[in-house]
Amino acid sequence: MAELRYAFFLGCTIPYRVTSYEVSARKVAAKLGIELVEMQDFNCCGLPIDPISHDAMLLLAARNLCLAEQQNLNITTLCTGCAITLRKVNRTLKENKELKETVNKHLKEVGMEFKGTIEVKHFAHVLAEDYGIEKIKQHVKKPLAQLQVSEHAGCHFLRPIEYAGFDNPEDPTVLKGLIEATGAKYFDYMDKTNCCGFTIIAIDDEISLQLTGSKLSNMHDAGAQAVVTVCPSCFLMFDVQQPRIEKVFGKTFSMPVLHYTQLLGLAMGMSAHELELDTHRVAATNMLSKIG
Amino acid sequence: MGAEQGTELKIKETIRSSRLDRNFPKEVMKSHGGEKLLLCYLCGSCAGGCPVGRLTTSYNPRQIVRMASLGLKDEVLRNNSLWFCTACFTCTDRCPQGLEVASIIRVIRNIAAEEGIVPQVFKELGSNILETGLAYKIPELRLKKREEQKLPPLPPSDTKAVDKLLEASGFLKLIKEQPKKEA
Amino acid sequence: MPEKPRIGVYVCHCGLNIAGVVDVKKVAQDAKSLPCVVMSKDYRYLCSVPGQDLIKKDIKEHKINRVVVAACTPNMHEATFRKVLEESGVNPYLLEIANIREHCSWVHRNEPRKATKKSIELTTMAVAKARSLEPLAIKEVDALKSVLVIGGGITGINAAIDLAEMGFQVYLVERNESIGGRMSQLDKTFPTLDCSTCVLGPKMVEVYRHPNIKILSYSEVVGLEGYVGNFKVQVLKKPRYVIEEKCTGCGECSNVCPIEVPNYWNMNMGVRKCISIPFEHAVPLIYRIDIDNCIKCYKCVDACGARQAILFDQEPETVELNVGAIVVAIGFDPYDPAKDEQYGYGIYPNAITGLEMERLLSAAGPTGGVINRPSDLKEPKRIAFIQCVGSRNLKRNPYCSRVCCMYSIKHARQLKEKHPDMEVAIYYMDIRAFGKGYEEFYEKAGREYKVQFIRGRVSEITEDPKTHNLIVHAEDTFLGRPMELEYDMVVLAIGLEPHSTTDKIQEILKIARSPDKFLQEAHPKLRPVDTLAVGIYIAGACQGPKDIPDSVAQAKAAASSVATLLHKGKIRIESIIASVIEDACTGCGKCLKVCPFQAISIDQTRNVATILEAKCNGCGSCAATCPVGAMQLCHYKDEQILAMIENALPSGAKEE
Repeated sequence: MAELRYAFFLGCTIPYRVTSYEVSARKVAAKLGIELVEMQDFNCCGLPIDPISHDAMLLLAARNLCLAEQQNLNITTLCTGCAITLRKVNRTLKENKELKETVNKHLKEVGMEFKGTIEVKHFAHVLAEDYGIEKIKQHVKKPLAQLQVSEHAGCHFLRPIEYAGFDNPEDPTVLKGLIEATGAKYFDYMDKTNCCGFTIIAIDDEISLQLTGSKLSNMHDAGAQAVVTVCPSCFLMFDVQQPRIEKVFGKTFSMPVLHYTQLLGLAMGMSAHELELDTHRVAATNMLSKIG
Repeated sequence: MGAEQGTELKIKETIRSSRLDRNFPKEVMKSHGGEKLLLCYLCGSCAGGCPVGRLTTSYNPRQIVRMASLGLKDEVLRNNSLWFCTACFTCTDRCPQGLEVASIIRVIRNIAAEEGIVPQVFKELGSNILETGLAYKIPELRLKKREEQKLPPLPPSDTKAVDKLLEASGFLKLIKEQPKKEA
Repeated sequence: MPEKPRIGVYVCHCGLNIAGVVDVKKVAQDAKSLPCVVMSKDYRYLCSVPGQDLIKKDIKEHKINRVVVAACTPNMHEATFRKVLEESGVNPYLLEIANIREHCSWVHRNEPRKATKKSIELTTMAVAKARSLEPLAIKEVDALKSVLVIGGGITGINAAIDLAEMGFQVYLVERNESIGGRMSQLDKTFPTLDCSTCVLGPKMVEVYRHPNIKILSYSEVVGLEGYVGNFKVQVLKKPRYVIEEKCTGCGECSNVCPIEVPNYWNMNMGVRKCISIPFEHAVPLIYRIDIDNCIKCYKCVDACGARQAILFDQEPETVELNVGAIVVAIGFDPYDPAKDEQYGYGIYPNAITGLEMERLLSAAGPTGGVINRPSDLKEPKRIAFIQCVGSRNLKRNPYCSRVCCMYSIKHARQLKEKHPDMEVAIYYMDIRAFGKGYEEFYEKAGREYKVQFIRGRVSEITEDPKTHNLIVHAEDTFLGRPMELEYDMVVLAIGLEPHSTTDKIQEILKIARSPDKFLQEAHPKLRPVDTLAVGIYIAGACQGPKDIPDSVAQAKAAASSVATLLHKGKIRIESIIASVIEDACTGCGKCLKVCPFQAISIDQTRNVATILEAKCNGCGSCAATCPVGAMQLCHYKDEQILAMIENALPSGAKEE
């Protein structure tokens, strides 16, 4: 496999509210030997305004792809929304000549040209495919054998199958493999591939809270002690909104929410503090006591 | 409020030829992602698996596709539920006719935006991008905190380039325009 | 001394198809001045009886010896006009057709002047070729009055019986141990709810007893040589490790056999002994050992005793059959829904397929006709049928499988008959109840049996992990609301796919497949059981999904077509074949390599290529390959084609 150097696309949500994901990811990547190269003057991937103007999204995404092409590096990102958007646009522009020409016409005005020379992969995808589960296992110093963990892969990690493509949205196994690599026990639950509803929280928060809430309820019923996310937006729904959801549902979940990189970091022997686990809204103290 | 009530009454009327805009489905099909609109054979697989549809009766992706196919332009553009789709793409994966259902909804949203229908949140996200290049305005404190967290400083976006591109795509007027008057 | 050509030119109006665009009178007029043309006329419908009679009259009165017809495509009426010539005593190959419809009037509707000019050019070319046409020999070969039927299901059985009754020797090759096919796996058949075995059984026995039918069971076709009327087929008889002639079907061996293996006939839901027959009424009644799982305990040998029918070192045997024609009736395989994980087949124990439900309902099935659900063997109180699994889906099979609506309604009625309080729902997009008695059958399901019909294609099925109950996620499209109803068991109404052996059969027989991957008929409307390979016919589900009445109809159609072909004992072979100019042939053998029909051999003594005329299909590959021009295709010889090219543009033509 080519050397593990990637253009690191941060996106907007992580530097805004979810720096714990970035901190844990950079620490884990460094230890694993994956180099994350900064992308200078990147911009929003465009997904938030796609509902208003698809053309605007294409241009914003294409500009980021050009930045990475200039660096001659494949892109990796921690946000599934950014990942699917950049991936989709990358492939569409590579395959649709007309669209590519139109986009390049506008990019020319800012001194750029989309050539179609790089690939985009979500960080979990990089870990599972490029780095390899077996190699990850070699770095696990403190297997989390006492932990019962559920996954929330999220919509943009799995779908649409044509563009996401590296896991089966009807029967996903990639995150399961990554979680089990840390030694933790993987807990399945009903409707695990369902949406968390983050994208419409400003349109109708009741629906979003219901969507995340039923997932929390199902994984709680199944016996999970923690849930792993791979997207900062999904994280916000499960962690920051959890107290609100508990009120709406009239139940207590106390379900700590971890970014996958935090779970892996714990298994690699890093402390909860250096992984910024203590900055989360839902306390993870109970869970941490189980793994000693 | 009154305008919405007026819309309600219209929806309950019998559908007559005069209410159908035959160009609307063509408009949708010309847009990237909307090409397969008329292939829909109304099986309901999308609505059957939609995570939002199971929680609210006002949102049904099959009905949105049907309204668009028939040419009920007004109804579908002014339908509040048009903005309930979370773009989870379950519908697209399940559709046996290969329709990109979520993309069709996005195309219809884009057309609505061109007619001045833009929910507030998108105006905010849009103006953030224009100002800073990112969808959120990150407070100074947070940027400074990155040093403490031993994170590299956040590189400022090339807002000039971003603004130029957004203008070229016609985005600026979409977030500034007022809704057109009711038909 | 070759006779001087006297050409009659006939230009057809074809109603307005041609005459509406082309000035047919001008075309006919123009042809009069061409060399060797003695007659040139136009007529409204040349293919009609008076049209044909006109040509016949002219041939007789004006001693015409070559005919040019400027009309529709030769695909339509070449055969018609060849017959006209033959009935007038002229060699049928002294006919040339200029296509001024599909190649002219139909594609140049908006340019009548240019179309007329083009028609004149096409006719001129045809006349030029007609001048150099030669009569071709009309040859017949002897045809064997024997037929190979591949596949012993209801289709193969019916074809075999009809052919045998007409006096043909029939070889029925069946790859499974017993004939009967899919119909033997059915409990009851729609719409009459006849017991399948009661209807099929007597036919199976009839086949077995018929003096003109030889069954080769547990055998497969592995090779084909020869040509229509004289096919040589290699059939591999797989070893049963039981000697056919000695086995009496008593079953003593099976009684003592200690090993059980899954029974494919019960969709692997039940078991059979390692030495056994697949089902009780198997024909022929000969036992078979599943040698891979046999532990060679020899208990069966002891039980067999004096009969000595068991032979552990039995070898496969290849036999060669000589037949005049072949009927392919290899049937279908059910669609495997494991790849549609959202339906949970193979993941949730209580999701089964329609064919598995058929076996559960059957008294001869793995549960003796008792409906148990797999997870806890309890009786289900609520069952949902999911239609269109694998069918009508651009991501899977785009076609409709035709029988699934009816078989699910059948299952639903059978369940309600036995368990009136059971909740039975059918989730569908459209109900296709097209056949005789089908609509009435469907209507009764709702009216009398209270089967619930919910219109909405199922999006996904989830499972309650504790109870293994299944939740069906679908939208009731008539209500416009998504539903998630719970059921104890779910039946996936899977579609039909071409049988797994279709690839192999296609390769051996060299027949075509349709875009939907079923075997292709020669013409979708007018020749549903023929293939484009002369002497090879297809019938039943291998040609496309169909129910039993349609399969039987096709079986009878195929038998009738075979009889039409073979009954005289002689078959006319293609006259348009290759021919060798021996003086020019260098014996290089390049032609031999490109011939798809193995119709060429090199005569070693004279070092020239020779054509096996009966095998030659006149494709022309050899003629195109020959580096020295020694190989020619009759009716398309170099000088004939060149004459057409030279006359393609009138001399002195200029751009208009």
